[in-house]
Amino acid sequence: MSTLKRRTALLAVATALCVSACSGTNGAAGDGQDGKVTLRWATWGPAEDMAVFKAFTDYFTKKYPNITLKLEPVASYEDYHPKLLTQLTSKTAPDVFYVGDDYIGKLVADGVLAPLDAQLAGPQSKSRPTDFFEGIYGGAKKAGVTYGVPNDTNPEVLWFDKKALAEAGITDDPAALNEAGRWTMATYLEMNAKLKAAGKYGSIFWNWYGANYSLVNGFGGKVWEGGKFVAPSDPKARQALKTLADGYRDKTFASADLLPEGNGPSTQFIKHKAGFYAGGRWVIEGIDKGGDRPNYDIVPFPSESGQPIQGAVAASYLTINKDSKHAKEAFTFLTEFVSKEGQQLRLKGGSAVPSVKGAESLVTDGKYPAHAQTFLDVRDKGFANYPDEVAVPGLTKAVNDHLMKIWEGKVGFDEGMTQLQTLVDGLKGRKS
Amino acid sequence: MSAEPLWRRRDRRWAVVFLAPQLLGLLVFLVGPLGFAIVLSFMEWDGLGDTTWVGLDNFRALLTDPGFGRAVWNTVKIGLITVPGGLVLALLLALALHGVRGRTAYRVIYFLPVVTSSVAVSVIWQMILGGGSDGILNGTVQDLFGVTLPSWLEDPTWVVPAIAVVTIWSSLGLNVVIFLAGLATIPANLIEAARIDGAGPWQTLRSVILPLLSPTVFFTLVVSVISSFQAFDLIYVLVNPDHNEGAQTIVYKVYQQGFREFRFGLSSAAALILLVLTLVVTAVQFKAQKRFVHYES
Repeated sequence: MSTLKRRTALLAVATALCVSACSGTNGAAGDGQDGKVTLRWATWGPAEDMAVFKAFTDYFTKKYPNITLKLEPVASYEDYHPKLLTQLTSKTAPDVFYVGDDYIGKLVADGVLAPLDAQLAGPQSKSRPTDFFEGIYGGAKKAGVTYGVPNDTNPEVLWFDKKALAEAGITDDPAALNEAGRWTMATYLEMNAKLKAAGKYGSIFWNWYGANYSLVNGFGGKVWEGGKFVAPSDPKARQALKTLADGYRDKTFASADLLPEGNGPSTQFIKHKAGFYAGGRWVIEGIDKGGDRPNYDIVPFPSESGQPIQGAVAASYLTINKDSKHAKEAFTFLTEFVSKEGQQLRLKGGSAVPSVKGAESLVTDGKYPAHAQTFLDVRDKGFANYPDEVAVPGLTKAVNDHLMKIWEGKVGFDEGMTQLQTLVDGLKGRKS
Repeated sequence: MSAEPLWRRRDRRWAVVFLAPQLLGLLVFLVGPLGFAIVLSFMEWDGLGDTTWVGLDNFRALLTDPGFGRAVWNTVKIGLITVPGGLVLALLLALALHGVRGRTAYRVIYFLPVVTSSVAVSVIWQMILGGGSDGILNGTVQDLFGVTLPSWLEDPTWVVPAIAVVTIWSSLGLNVVIFLAGLATIPANLIEAARIDGAGPWQTLRSVILPLLSPTVFFTLVVSVISSFQAFDLIYVLVNPDHNEGAQTIVYKVYQQGFREFRFGLSSAAALILLVLTLVVTAVQFKAQKRFVHYES
């Protein structure tokens, strides 16, 4: 062989190696010769949080030895959806993946998720579509078709500190008032005023739709109506938002987002510096870091009449990639994951509330807080973020960011409401 | 006129073969995406659905968006602090190290932040500059003097200076090494001649060293300005601009609009504006170099 030919041959081999090395590893990569399938699935959360899936993974792989699960986690929620989007665009997305409640609407609209109704109602399904509460499907349902199933939930409730309330001269127990049908917005605001007079925060809220829209609902207001964002113009919604804005400015309320890191909402709450703290079941973790458990209990957001309102429920969804080459195995995973047994395995000892009927004991067995049933009541009647809002990626964040400017007093309330309407109409109006 | 010899034609063919991988990479990873971004900037596209031609709407939207204006201003502010601050500090350090025994060791020490992952750098500085008593700096000052310092990474007034300090720290080593290389090229006899003629240290620096070092200064200036315009990863981890408008830069907006809000048309338009801005500033620098850059003939 001449030197030139040898070089050419080497170049050809190098090119072939390079091309094979650079080629993608799309879906079919998981197919083994022995009929085994590797199923890729993705979620968000730091490495230590992934341990909660171990029991379920062990159970699943033992039950389905032909399916190997490959978890592809992304550490932060903020970075998860950008990565998922690039994977979907390049057709390299996992077979099954989590979608956050603020992105589900967009992915449904873009047609990248597999419809699930036929399989959910079929013999392979471990739970019926009706085993999940209608309100928490949120943007995962479009025109009656289901594209995602809630993994688990976290209903937004008001935690209250009995000692702080007593120190402010409040003798009524909010949970008892709720049971008596007398947990009204007027009572709640009156308690907040007394707490403020006693040198405490009335309530601490995180600035997100869960707290903001729950309060709007409590005032009897509307956020979205007929596909239009009406919160800035609906009189009762406006009254709710004004109450929040005024409360933040006169320090009746505190924004958890703005409290200093070393003295955050959990610290304030266990030091009895606030009467109420809006949050989910995860607040227990904060209380356990130095708080006296029996001193705290929960109550739903109040209403004008004292009757239950629709409270917000944080949710995420498990979905199947429409382009998955393992649709059957993907559904097997999905239905096991969201089933009663699956949730019991995943959520045991955790702070989430199951999304499926029948797994309530996860919340009630510990008998904490005393009115733990409230979590389930709010979940059953509650709502995940509005489908109209989650259909536009970034819209919820834009609304929250703008509301924060109002809470901080950077923008006047009336001007802020006008700007909010323009902002939402602008983002909603565009196609992309 | 005789035809090109065979060996020369063969050489040219081989040149093309050897250049092909590089050219292919350039086409696939630079020219292609740039062309795609230019086309996208006139469209609406969410990354998954159909594209729609919208003409100049994306540019109009950006140029009338106060948030984007704020990002441009933040980017400029970061550049205004980091470029002159970083260059002057690097030059002073290079002058101090030039001719010093064991300068290789110093060079390694100063270069360490450059080869350290920007994420690691950001996390370390987060610990140092963190707000409240949790931050090493604030906590120490609070404990020693009872003085409460601002929340450097959260306070909109202080976040840009804080970013600038970290950026300067992390890029200092590279500039020092470049300046040391430039100083090494200055003939010792010129400095010696200046001293014999009675020039003091300051005069030698001003009239001999700086003019001869000016091509190096110009190079670092151009590179530093471009880097400051492209600032993203360090700021993203250090400050989390999601919750701090004072730290949002143009590249952050490109990322936010594209990958958070799925608005790739708008995102591409923002990237193009950044490209044009960078080209204009670089062109101005090249124009201005005639006045201050001295090339030895």
